[in-house]
Amino acid sequence: MTDEPGTSNSSQPSSTQFECNICLDTAKDAVISYCGHLFCWPCLHQWLETRPNRQECPVCKAGIGKDKVVPLYGRGSSNNVDPREKLPPRPQAQRPAAENRNMGWNGLNLGDGFQMSFGIGAFPFGFFGSMFNVNDGRPRTPPPDTPQYQDEQVISKVFLFVAIFMMFWLFVS
Amino acid sequence: MAFSQKRIQKEILTMTTSPPPGTRLVTETMQTTKEFLVEVHGAQGTLFAGEQFKLLFKFGDRYPFESPQVMFVGDHIPEHPHVYSNGHICLSILTDDWSPALSVESVCLSILSMLSSCTEKKRPPDNAFYIRTCSSNPKDTRWWYHDDKV
Repeated sequence: MTDEPGTSNSSQPSSTQFECNICLDTAKDAVISYCGHLFCWPCLHQWLETRPNRQECPVCKAGIGKDKVVPLYGRGSSNNVDPREKLPPRPQAQRPAAENRNMGWNGLNLGDGFQMSFGIGAFPFGFFGSMFNVNDGRPRTPPPDTPQYQDEQVISKVFLFVAIFMMFWLFVS
Repeated sequence: MAFSQKRIQKEILTMTTSPPPGTRLVTETMQTTKEFLVEVHGAQGTLFAGEQFKLLFKFGDRYPFESPQVMFVGDHIPEHPHVYSNGHICLSILTDDWSPALSVESVCLSILSMLSSCTEKKRPPDNAFYIRTCSSNPKDTRWWYHDDKV
């Protein structure tokens, strides 16, 4: 004897088959994962936000994500808007105060000169930065044999002399 | 808030109408839906056969996206390599491996299964140190899950 289509011989009421695996209610704005598990999109979205670096199906731990679920459109659904497009309101962005990065250098404040110790503190960064070309924010050097290249060479030399003079002055004074 | 309460209500209903074998929701002393006790009976044919334990479940407002706090309470704490004498349980689904598809029912079953597969009744090796230093909330502990045999 075969079952009528649409009937279920399990002991559970048939409505529980369409319950969201997270809120345990009949799935609203339903989406189904590639692994076949049904969720309300708001529920699944909140779970994915909870663990952004581990996007796993809550039921079977298969990979899951916004692009790895299929929206379900039943006949009774009022409008066929993709549930993934109407996200639940996300929490407001926050702007916590930045950490004070100068803490370490303030520790070098030895007695008489705050300005002096700050200068020494800041010095190695600029120095090593330019020595090893760590600063990638600068524009690329123009190709040789162009007027701009010549100009930059001249400017570079001028600043080198200024720097050497400043250091000499620092040591002498 | 309402979301977590609605789901807990559904779970309480399941636990009262069709609880998993060997468990019973303690409804007599239940005052809020934010925390309740579940009685767990050691399965027949295992080291804990005939013994009865009490599990305390506490739910935060972010449940089920955040795991409940689950620990053994009362004067009878099972003597198991993953259960500390203060009732804290070293079980990965209670912290790192929690998923909102898990429930009171599945947590009870996992703990029963953990008890049933026990081969030797003993405390975790670091029990004395842990119970002196730990927080009262087992979820504050940084658990290391290294032994999946028991």
